[in-house]
Amino acid sequence: MQVFKLQKKGFNEFLEKVRSSYELIAPIKEDLVKFEKINNVKDIHLEKNSYFPVKEYFFRKEETLFQFDGKKFITPKLKTPTRAFFGLRRCDLAGIQHQDKVFMEDVNDPYYLEARKNSFLLGYHCPSAPSEYCFCGSMNLEEFFDIMFYDHETFFLAEIGSKKGEFLVKKFSKYFSKTNEIISEVEKTIPGTERLEKKDISKLYDHKDWKKGVDICLSCTACTALCPTCYCFSIHDEISIKNTKESERKRSWSSCQVPEFTKVAGDHVFRQEREERFKHRIYHQLDYFKEKYNVNMCTGCGRCIEGCPTRIDFVKIINEME
Amino acid sequence: MERQKTFENPYLPKPYKVLSFTRESSDSFTIKVDMRINHEPGQFVQVSVPGIGECPISICSDSNKYIELNIREVGNVTNALSKLKKGSVVFVRGPYGNGYPMRSLRGNNILIIGGGCGVAPLRGIIEFVANNREDYEDVNLFLGYRSPADMIFKKETKKWKKDYQVDVSVDKVPHGQSCHDMRVGFITDALKEMHLDKNNRVVFICGPPIMMRYVIEILKNKGFNDKQIFISAERLMYCALGVCCHCMIKGKFTCIDGPVFRYDEVPK
Repeated sequence: MQVFKLQKKGFNEFLEKVRSSYELIAPIKEDLVKFEKINNVKDIHLEKNSYFPVKEYFFRKEETLFQFDGKKFITPKLKTPTRAFFGLRRCDLAGIQHQDKVFMEDVNDPYYLEARKNSFLLGYHCPSAPSEYCFCGSMNLEEFFDIMFYDHETFFLAEIGSKKGEFLVKKFSKYFSKTNEIISEVEKTIPGTERLEKKDISKLYDHKDWKKGVDICLSCTACTALCPTCYCFSIHDEISIKNTKESERKRSWSSCQVPEFTKVAGDHVFRQEREERFKHRIYHQLDYFKEKYNVNMCTGCGRCIEGCPTRIDFVKIINEME
Repeated sequence: MERQKTFENPYLPKPYKVLSFTRESSDSFTIKVDMRINHEPGQFVQVSVPGIGECPISICSDSNKYIELNIREVGNVTNALSKLKKGSVVFVRGPYGNGYPMRSLRGNNILIIGGGCGVAPLRGIIEFVANNREDYEDVNLFLGYRSPADMIFKKETKKWKKDYQVDVSVDKVPHGQSCHDMRVGFITDALKEMHLDKNNRVVFICGPPIMMRYVIEILKNKGFNDKQIFISAERLMYCALGVCCHCMIKGKFTCIDGPVFRYDEVPK
């Protein structure tokens, strides 16, 4: 793929130009690192990876599917500004790629598509593992980006990954200079991120060691909320207080870690035991999703471990299974 | 940038007229809806009450001119649906899921085992077989309810009794009531006494999870193999499109891979 060079000196100016054309979303550090709309490109924080995933810009926490006016359903007019995302790590990009498969290939989800279509994905290749919980190197992530930036001392190398990427290079051609440099396979790997030793867990379902995680799990659902790929949702209706004939149907994130996730009318719960729920998440991440889409759902970002109040490190649990 | 293509919103239900409303038991009713769709027996639709919510209901008829839905009042949406009358508008999307593979099962004897409101999706098979009678051999029905008052499809059952071998059992009969055309006891007792040749026979089961478990155990003791048995699974469902994940059983989605599963393909 085509490679360009950008001097670090002019890089903020480049980002500023991007910002003046599109809404620029990148990680900033407040108390925690988070993807936010950038007002000043100097605020962009690249040392640590974002604590929160970027998914809520496409698969929103809550989405109004349609309104009901008493007679018919009205789909809200969808309008997301064109956005350029910068500072996306390989795990963030893989999360977007996997959600694309669910919301754009499997079904035509108009809400996701609308937010996703008008977006540019500018990646930032981690020079080293930004967190001790990272294990993306074990996840066989595919190359997925519009432009990927590789951090060198005085310059960035930019690899173009799509038509959208080519478009941006043309539009901001002043900053991209031609180069003969290539990005080797070695440079594309991130040292210290091959933590997960067992790639196939399909035969480990009944292993006793899952209890190590199950016993200290609080069912708090932080893991699923922080996961860049977790895409479960529930749908509910809300009645307008002003006019009870009017209502809205909304969807919102939900989590397989609580009993209510499988509760049907009559109060029967299909995954009543915490162990079943805990394993369901891990198996969806590392087994079920792969069966359907040929890629792991898990991107190896380690956010579910970092954000877990009892630090359940399922990678360590799996590694230690005999 | 490229303009968004217009296509149908998969979450959006459409309005249909209710053609009739029939009360079946104290807590269940059947509506006939003016929805003209091709579907298989065992498939389901998502029925909406705006402001209350949406729920999956299996189609219990076999026609491309209308659909019939038997609904038990157990939750917010189904309670709201019970207020429908002939001429009301109901919001529906579908059909969804894989139904019973009736076409590939031609030439077989059929054994139908249903418990409570689980009889509803099976009624679709019974109607399908009636519409394609020459394609199938003997039909045996085992239907179980908690009490005579909980029985659904009373009129239809009378008709089925004329054409097929029908065995109805009720768990118990309230004091002071009599019941002469039903067996008193669990459906599993009736099945234990059954003397049906297992060869060239397929079994369709739908009912509460506990009933299905014991029924399958009995069938296996009688020598039936997993490939002869078809079950219909129930799970919490929102999207019915294979996305929201609530209905997942291991890696399979009840809404798109099921709700009907051949027993050897049920994720265990």
